[in-house]
Amino acid sequence: MAAPSAAGLGRRLRAWLPRIMPVRWSRYDTSYLEPEVKKESYQKPVEELTEEEREQMELKTVRPIKAAPPTVSSSVFTDPMISKFTNMMMRSGNKVLARSLMSQTLETIKRKQLEKYHKAPENEKETIECNPYVIFHQALKNCQPIIGLSNITKGGKTYQVPVPLTDNRKRFLAMKWLITECRENKHRRTLMPEKLSQELLLAFNNEGPVIKKKHVLHKMAEANRAYAHFRWW
Amino acid sequence: QLDRGCALHTAARAGLSSVPSQDVPAGKPRAVFHTSESDPAKHTEQHEGRLYNIPLEEVKAVFPHGLPRRFQQQIQTFNEARVMVRKPALELLAYLKGSNFSHPAVRYVIYGERGTGKTMTLCHVVHYCSRQGWLVLHIPDAHLWVKNCKELLHSAYKKDRLDQPLQASVWLKNFKSSNERFLQEIKTQKKYMWGKHESTEEGRPLGEVVEQGLARARSASDAVGVVLRELKQQSHRGSFRLLVAVDGVNALWGRTTLSKEDKSPVSPEELTLVHNLRKMVRNDWSGGAIVTTLSQTGSLFKPSSAYTPQELLGKEGFDALDPFVPIPVPNYSPREFESCYGYYLERRWLQHEKALTEDGKAELQFLSGSNPRQLDRLAGPL
Repeated sequence: MAAPSAAGLGRRLRAWLPRIMPVRWSRYDTSYLEPEVKKESYQKPVEELTEEEREQMELKTVRPIKAAPPTVSSSVFTDPMISKFTNMMMRSGNKVLARSLMSQTLETIKRKQLEKYHKAPENEKETIECNPYVIFHQALKNCQPIIGLSNITKGGKTYQVPVPLTDNRKRFLAMKWLITECRENKHRRTLMPEKLSQELLLAFNNEGPVIKKKHVLHKMAEANRAYAHFRWW
Repeated sequence: QLDRGCALHTAARAGLSSVPSQDVPAGKPRAVFHTSESDPAKHTEQHEGRLYNIPLEEVKAVFPHGLPRRFQQQIQTFNEARVMVRKPALELLAYLKGSNFSHPAVRYVIYGERGTGKTMTLCHVVHYCSRQGWLVLHIPDAHLWVKNCKELLHSAYKKDRLDQPLQASVWLKNFKSSNERFLQEIKTQKKYMWGKHESTEEGRPLGEVVEQGLARARSASDAVGVVLRELKQQSHRGSFRLLVAVDGVNALWGRTTLSKEDKSPVSPEELTLVHNLRKMVRNDWSGGAIVTTLSQTGSLFKPSSAYTPQELLGKEGFDALDPFVPIPVPNYSPREFESCYGYYLERRWLQHEKALTEDGKAELQFLSGSNPRQLDRLAGPL
């Protein structure tokens, strides 16, 4: 009696389990809504809201809301790009250290630029950028490659095929190059804020090893133009 | 009138007179936070919350050591040294101005929570005294004498004592650079032997003792002891006023992290420098004042929440320093916070766009809790 029902149970169980098991899955039910962290959205008076926003507000009164992750904050000074960069610098989950390194880097950039600013003559003062956030964003933008290479195997041989990159991939590559450059190619005893501030300032002026790496990648893509038709997406 | 640029290119010791700033000049609301009064002797309550400028040559002459590290970085970045005039400092200056120098030296202990400005208050007082022509004995951090010593020599003078040549020579060098003229005027009253062959005769200027300590590192700690002893004995005569300024005085009565060759721990009395400094901080001499600061930050084996004199000095230290005048240093008042914030804005230290808004300012005030050190650390990356 047990044996045929066991076999039947096994078959039914296998039919119920999906063939692909998702690796990352949320503990939240689909009815949970995202939390709203920005202060400005709560300060708007009720009359100014559009129809969709009114609907959203009514939905919030009945639906449960997910817990806000520790990385998002309602501070006016948060910047998602800086948080991403900090996460990429983090090692073994030591976010405290990564964040302090990031703030020391920004401070070092600011000090270097301010010293230059105070020593410069009057007419040059406007050209010197002292805001470390502006420098950071501009440096990242300058480091982003426009086109990337991807390995495609055809007929037994692997070719490096030029391929367009998504925005996320470009940002990731820029940040990754900056961090690896600072970790590997510097003198052992220089500290990370010092190295990073140097690299960011060079990248801001379109100089430095990271920009060179980007140009090398572009040249390789240009050289392999012939294989571009191997791409099928 | 409030323009710092035109104000005071003064020589280091020349006394000056200038009109203290009063009204808001039209078109320059931020300059209210500054005052052109560069002489601490003339600071009164109306200057409270304002920042006064110390010329850079004077900073190098008066403070070869003793300024906090972040403040030194700030001086280098902004190209100027601005110190805020606060109530505890004004109180101390009033006491010093009204003190009777024929009575024994009064001891003042500046205490407060972490990062509230105790060392800066001490530096303000040191600046005032050096402007007035006192001899300033400034020990920048007594904790440096009880921890992290690479070399400990057995003292040649007393059997059980230990010398610290490195720390003593560093201190002697800085002491010499800040008090040049006194070292020529004050003469020794006794003959001192440095080992078998070298000696300093009676009646030689104190500068020779300092040179001896710098030349021979072995006798540096003894040279420090000699200097302290001579100054203490001669201060009552009235030819000079003596200010003993010790930062982190709770190090003198705590424990040390040093150990002898047989790995037994060293207690502070066994160190020559600490022993001599303890004698200096006793109030059995007249003709000056003793201003000290408690500090938990560099202290050894003390919990981080301790800030009162009883907790940090322990029974031994409190009994040794008793009676003293306690001077508490609180966090920034709203007015002082505004002043500091305005100064950072004006020197372009706060660069973030949101930091210029009211929201940003409220957030900075909340996050720092009006604590000067937290505000400085928060404003760094912004």
